[in-house]
Formats: sequence, C-alpha cells, structure tokens
Amino acid sequence: MPGSELTPRGASAPRVTVWLIILLALVVGLALWSLNVGASRMSLLNVLTGDPDDRLSKILFASRLPRTLALLLAGSALAVAGLILQMMARNRLVEPSTVGTMEAAALGLLVLAWLAPGAPLPLRFALVSVFALGGTLIFLAVLRRIALRSALIVPLVGLVLAGVIAAAGALLAQQLDLSQSLRAWNSGDFSAVLRGRYELLWLAAGLTVVAMLAADRFTVIGLGKDFATNVGVNYGRLMLLGLLLVAMISASVVVVVGAIPFIGLVAPNLVRWLCGDQLRRSIPLVALLGAALMLAADLAGRLIIHPFEVPSSGLLAVTGCLVFLVILIRGRKQWA
Amino acid sequence: MLPHALRRGLSVTGLLLATSFSAAALANETVTIQHSSGETEVPVNPQKAVVIDWSTLDTLQQLGVTVQGTPSNTAPELLKQYRDGDFIRAGSLFEPDLEVLQSTQPDLIITGRRAQGQYAEVAKFGPTIDVTPDPKDLLGSLERNTRLLGQIYAREAEAEALISKLEASVQELRKLTAEQGNGLLVLTTGGRMAAFGSGTRFGMIHDVFGLPQAVDNLQVGRHGHSVSFEFLLEANPDWLFVMDRDAAIGREGVAAAQLMDNELVKATTAGQKGQIVYLDPVSWYLLDNSGIGVMQTSVETLIEAFSAANR
Repeated sequence: MPGSELTPRGASAPRVTVWLIILLALVVGLALWSLNVGASRMSLLNVLTGDPDDRLSKILFASRLPRTLALLLAGSALAVAGLILQMMARNRLVEPSTVGTMEAAALGLLVLAWLAPGAPLPLRFALVSVFALGGTLIFLAVLRRIALRSALIVPLVGLVLAGVIAAAGALLAQQLDLSQSLRAWNSGDFSAVLRGRYELLWLAAGLTVVAMLAADRFTVIGLGKDFATNVGVNYGRLMLLGLLLVAMISASVVVVVGAIPFIGLVAPNLVRWLCGDQLRRSIPLVALLGAALMLAADLAGRLIIHPFEVPSSGLLAVTGCLVFLVILIRGRKQWA
Repeated sequence: MLPHALRRGLSVTGLLLATSFSAAALANETVTIQHSSGETEVPVNPQKAVVIDWSTLDTLQQLGVTVQGTPSNTAPELLKQYRDGDFIRAGSLFEPDLEVLQSTQPDLIITGRRAQGQYAEVAKFGPTIDVTPDPKDLLGSLERNTRLLGQIYAREAEAEALISKLEASVQELRKLTAEQGNGLLVLTTGGRMAAFGSGTRFGMIHDVFGLPQAVDNLQVGRHGHSVSFEFLLEANPDWLFVMDRDAAIGREGVAAAQLMDNELVKATTAGQKGQIVYLDPVSWYLLDNSGIGVMQTSVETLIEAFSAANR
C-alpha cells in the first residue's frame, strides 16, 4: 500500500460497500453521541428511562436534534461541494474555503449587515449565494488564463484569491466597525443552532442530492473540456451547474453557521485514498465522511471546555492544515 | 459602610494628590499625575489636549470640558459635540496616529485601555497619561480618573460632586441586587453569543453592582466563553443581561432581541419573569462604563429595572 496512496485506481464494489457500512456506523454513532452531549446534564438515557418532562424534550428537540442535523447536513454538503469543485478545477487540492468561495460569502454577509441589516432569510441567502458564486467564478476564470497548470499552482492561485477577498472584507469591516462580526462569520460554529434556525441547510442537502445524481457527468468534466465534449456532455451547462451547487451549498452553510474550512478538502481526498477515484460509487462515502468529520469536530468543541464551547471551525482548521500537509508531502512525487 | 472597591478607590495617594498638590500645581501651572502607566507632569488647563479614549471624553464632558483632539472614528451619539468641527483627529482607539501627534505637538495626551500597549510610543510626543482601568477595581479606577481629570482642568469640586452622586447610586443599586437572585451576562456578535463572568470586562455587574453569578466558574479571559442556548437554560439565571455588540456601532436592525427570542431562553427564570435586560452597548462595550457619565446612566438604568421587578 505505501507509495501508491494517491495514484488513481478503480473502486471495487465490495471495498466501497465495506467502507459504506463502516462510515454509516460511524456517523450514526457520532450522531447519537452528539444528541447525548450538551451544556445541560440531560442524556439520551433520561429520555428513554426517566419521565420525559417538558424540559428534557425541549432540550432534545429544540437544541440537540437540530444541532446534530445541522452538523450532518452541513458536513456532507461541504464534502460533496469540495469534491465537485475539485472536479471543476481538475485539482484535488482545492475546496470552497481555499479558493475564495467562503470568503466571498462572508463578504456578502458583511455587505448585508451594512446595507440591509434586517433583511429576511431568503434575501440573505440569495445575496450571499451571488457573492459565493462571484468568488468561485473569479477563481475559475483566473485558472483558465494560466497556461502552466502544475498541480501546486492551482491551490496557490486559490489561496491568493481567497486572501485578496478576505483582505477586502477585513478592510470594509474595519471601516464599518464590524471586524468582530466578520470574525464570527469567518469562524463557523454551531453553538447558536436551534429548531427554526438551521432549516436552510435542508436546501443544502437537496443540492447535495442533485450533485450526487450528476456525479457521473462531473467525473467526465474532470477529464477535461475536450473529452467531455467528445462524449457528448454539455460542458458549459455542467460547469454552470457545478458552480451553482458549490456556491449555494457554501452560502447556506455560511448564512446558518459561518464559514467551515477543510471538510471539502479532507473528505474527498481521504475517500480517494481509501477507495480510489471513481466518483459514482464513492460519492456517498464522501458525504458520509464529511458528516462524520463535522460531527467529530463539533463534539470535540463541545467537550474540550464543557459546558462552554470552542468553535468547531477552529479545530477543523488545525486538523485540516495537517491533512493538507500530509497530502502534499505524500503526493510530492506525483506533483513534481 | 463602604464596600471594598469603594474604600480602595479612596486610596491614600488619591487623597494626597487631590489635596496637597493641586494648590501648588495651580501656581506652577503644572501638576504631577499618577496614572496606570506611571507618573507624568502635565500642564493645568492644557490648551491642546488630545484624548484618544471615549470614556475620558465622557468624563470631561460631565466636567464641562471640551478638548481639542479626539479619536478619528465617528463619535458616539452621547459625544456628538465631537462629531463635526475643527478637532485634531488622532487615529483609532487601538492605534493612535503618531504622525498627527508629532505634527500637532499636544500639551496633553490621554490614552485608554485599548491603546495601553502603545503608551510608550505615544508618550514620546508630549506629556501623556494612561487612564486604563484596573480590571479588579473598576469603580475605584473610574473615581481616580475622574479626580485626576478634575485636577488637570481645575474642576476638583465638580469631580467630587459627580463621584458622590455615583457612589450614592451604586449603594442604592447594591441594596436592590442583594435581593434579586442571580444574573448572567452575554455578549452577542454576528449571531453567536459569549458569556462573561466576574473579573471580565463586563464583570462589574457582579463585582461592583453585587449581583450574584448564575454560573460561578465563568471568570477566564476578557473575551468571554462561547456558549449555547442550552447553556443558558442550564444556568437558568434570574436575570439575563444581553449586550448586542453589533448595535454598539449602530446596527440596531440585527437586534440581539431576535436572537434571544427562542423557546430555550423563554424557559429560563429570566425569560419567564421578563427579566431580560438589554444593556446599552455604547456605555458597556464601547466606553467600558469607564466614563462617569455613562456609568451613572448604566447604574440608573439598572436601578430602574430592578425596582420595577420589586413592585
């Protein structure tokens, strides 16, 4: 196995099935744990054994269940968005938080706070989506104009663009005295998730399903425009679909909980490492692994200084950076 | 009986400075001021004073003094006399504009908490005093700063009057808080919230005003702890104090009230009794309640809230 981790290979059906079962069990286990952990002393057993008074069911149904669902939905959606973006950029080292999508979405929230602070949710979502779309488009447009596309140039271009957008946001926030708010939106955290305040993420789940259904065609995009056109895929339309999916998924997550980094990078790459490159079979694995990572990060955030919380985005950023480095180092031969 | 914090505020040095030095100082036209970063000799009634601290501008306004230089940011409503007009604009609260200080040569510079790290730099450009409050003795610091400003502008009597009025109000408030159960303070920003306890930047609600804490291990860190609504339900405070950070800078639209309007907060004692108090973020956040004007207002607002609950 060593030395061949990152070389593409076909996913054998039994192997995928085994991992599917393992990851499903992991996600179910983490979700149950997530239902069981919170600032109050209530545990799942209380509901099953004790008399479920109003307070217990309130905590479970108003706080813990929505939070757990939000984690599942956001984690899986971001993982799949990362995968789609990687196919579109034809590079596996990019994801929405390293190419400017998330930064642009946070900039959108900032502009909203500035010009229309009381805007209703649909309007907020629409405007933030437009920003996220813009950020992603800039990245892909710049990428098209770069002739020499070594595997490392692509993520670097993304990071530079993300940095520029983040700097623009920081400058505007400084002028508007909203630096702290921008920081909150840039570091996603599920502590304020409640029944009635996360439902936008179901839209992200719907988009994720669309992405899964279109997965085959995105595999073709990954092989290049000429190839895609030759096998009869409408390249332009598919790129637009991919863009919309990535932008709207990122926007829904940023609007509900703030920017969440690295899930879109780590989940697809780990799945490739486990099962190979064939997307059609492995895309459910990517979604499950994304959900598992998101749940694990948020659980850690809830447990480290219980009953207070550490934002899960911070924990993900640290682990995500490490995984990013490992991928870079292990894949060096391949990138060189 | 004066509470501990008050007694410390009337420290020996403060008294000495207030009585013995002022008479002599007037004759020399200078006065030696002991402040948070040392001791500085400053002119009495300075002609070109630059104050890079809203709280100090608030106290000076209460003393009837208008200064020549302010921070460059737009002044809050209560200091609107500084919004327009020919003032020296000396940079942000965190980063004083050293070039402006150099070119204008002020005869007095006053810096506050947010620029404390820059004190040594700033002090190169003129006699500088640092009015950063001692987090362990917020009321004492406020009184000390009010007195020293009174000395500099020869308004000691006015300063003492303001201090006596504030002390009386604080006493009244402490009597009220003694029988009101406990409280918890949260700061909301960008849709998230953090809890603050005793010893933090908003700890005066417990430390000075005497309200017991709903959660007693909340002290660590000036920036508070990120918490969930479930935490609020578990803490179940009798009084919930909410400060909308985004409103501190005039974004009233994204109200913290909206964030707090949910079934978990409603299930707390504070929620059921309607004892959720929205604190004025300009006084509490922007000015740290470190100006004597905003502090007096904050104390009076709380007296009103607690008296209403008693009725």
